[in-house]
Amino acid sequence: MNETRTPLIEMRNINLNFGTVQALRNVSVNFYEGELVGLVGDNGAGKTTLIRILSGMYAPTSGEVYFGGKRITRFHPKLAIDLGIETIQQTVGLCDNLSIARNYFLGREPVKRVLGFIPVLDFARMRQASSAVVRNFGLRDTVNVDDEVALLSGGEAQSFKIGRAVDFRNKVIIMDEPTNHLSVRERAHVNDLALQLRDQGLLVIYITHDIFQVHRLADRIIILENGRKVVDIPKAEMSAEALEQIIRDGSHEAVKG
Amino acid sequence: MPEIKRFFKRSEATIIIGCILLFVVFTLVDARNWYSFFTIRNITRLTAILGLVAIGETLLILVREIDLSVGSVYGLVAIAFISFAPTIGVPFSFVVALVVAATIGLLNAVLVLRGRLSSMIVTLGGLFFYRGVIYVATQSTAPSLTADVTSQWFVQLFGGNWFLGLENGFWWFLLAIIVFSYILFRIPYGNHLLATGGNPESAASRGVSVQTVKTLAFIACSLLAGFAGIITVADQPRTGVTIGQDVELEAIAAAVIGGALLSGGKGSIIGAALGTYFLTAVRSELITLGAPSVWYISFVGFVLVFAAVVNTFIQRRLMKTHTL
Repeated sequence: MNETRTPLIEMRNINLNFGTVQALRNVSVNFYEGELVGLVGDNGAGKTTLIRILSGMYAPTSGEVYFGGKRITRFHPKLAIDLGIETIQQTVGLCDNLSIARNYFLGREPVKRVLGFIPVLDFARMRQASSAVVRNFGLRDTVNVDDEVALLSGGEAQSFKIGRAVDFRNKVIIMDEPTNHLSVRERAHVNDLALQLRDQGLLVIYITHDIFQVHRLADRIIILENGRKVVDIPKAEMSAEALEQIIRDGSHEAVKG
Repeated sequence: MPEIKRFFKRSEATIIIGCILLFVVFTLVDARNWYSFFTIRNITRLTAILGLVAIGETLLILVREIDLSVGSVYGLVAIAFISFAPTIGVPFSFVVALVVAATIGLLNAVLVLRGRLSSMIVTLGGLFFYRGVIYVATQSTAPSLTADVTSQWFVQLFGGNWFLGLENGFWWFLLAIIVFSYILFRIPYGNHLLATGGNPESAASRGVSVQTVKTLAFIACSLLAGFAGIITVADQPRTGVTIGQDVELEAIAAAVIGGALLSGGKGSIIGAALGTYFLTAVRSELITLGAPSVWYISFVGFVLVFAAVVNTFIQRRLMKTHTL
């Protein structure tokens, strides 16, 4: 990795407390463009907490976050989305009761003016944009964008969210356990998409329990444990087996990359 | 049969069929009275008043909240409108009364959202509290409007009958159906509201402010209830301690019969309007046929549960046939 580049995201000495529980302890980490980073750790290690800061859902108790060199002081999902940070989670991101077209632009719906002044949702654009993603990201041919999202399979919903993230010209895609509950073929498809995004120059942060799966995909592996960063290493420097051993042993000593 | 499937996917499918059956049955049983101008005028008037409340209730049910205080708010705002009219004039009184309604809605929202309380509890408290205020306000005198006040055009605007002999309240109701259907299904706010009801976490993750969406829904619900109260007394300027009693339960029943699911995210304005029409038409017809009024209450209960069963069945069935 080229360490002279400016990181796209820089997190410095991040602490986050929920009451008396310290979810993140002095975590410092950099993320670069065009990189696929595997963020690994056991349940409660702080993976999801860390990325929820990036997606604007939590504000750190202390520490600094920089995006493209600029200090971030306010944390809100809307602000994160505006910066081009998209989080893809298994259970979140799509509303089952709404059509695919209505879900597509949720939160930033296109509006046209009828008679020059009455604002109305631009359904033509919503259908067109969502149809393109349905076609290009491997959903069934029979999927109609006027159908509810509830009718999509788990893999299709994930693919659709990824497609939306790409279409919105995001810079950062955070994938939180993106392949849970997916079939083998759907899993391969989603992982292929993750690699494609990285090849297009996006930063992809891939969160998982499965060190073996992410070791195949990632350029760099970060392991969190009890809210601390214990490993941050280019994947070439350590085998998946060795990394798994670290997670299993619960070693608190930081491993230098 | 994709058209048929598409029809049944609409949340108002059940109530449309219900209303068609209603017409068939009442035409067969009592055509002469059913199509009389008196009946039509009576039903449209009652539908308009209850329907405005049911529209507001639907907005809240859509976002998984409920407002049990609307009956008392309806009464309180009506009394406020009447009480202030002689001193500050009707137009100002109208505005003040609606400000009272909006404030109550905002207070409900703040208590529920900031206080993290159940809307059921907060608005049940409101139901008692504002009813108590009505007791105090009507203790010495039950306010009413004098004839010269009610004849003013501004009062007539809400209480008169200018077109086709139907009450103006009915035209306001039709306008409310159009406006709120537009808000719900044709602009971003409506999409945010439906998303909030369907999956608040997903909506929030897309940058939708769930709190703002819900706050506006609480305010709209109180405003519509208050507006319904004003329309009622603009036409019949008499008040009493019981004004608006049980309106909250009938409005919720109308919304549910109209296809609104209490689990949120599914429902429509037209459904709420037709649900209200169904209830008021049956009530009016039962009275005409000489049935004891207690039957009506039982009937509402029966229809409510029946509609819920049918709607749930249809939703489950549709989802089953569509998935792979």
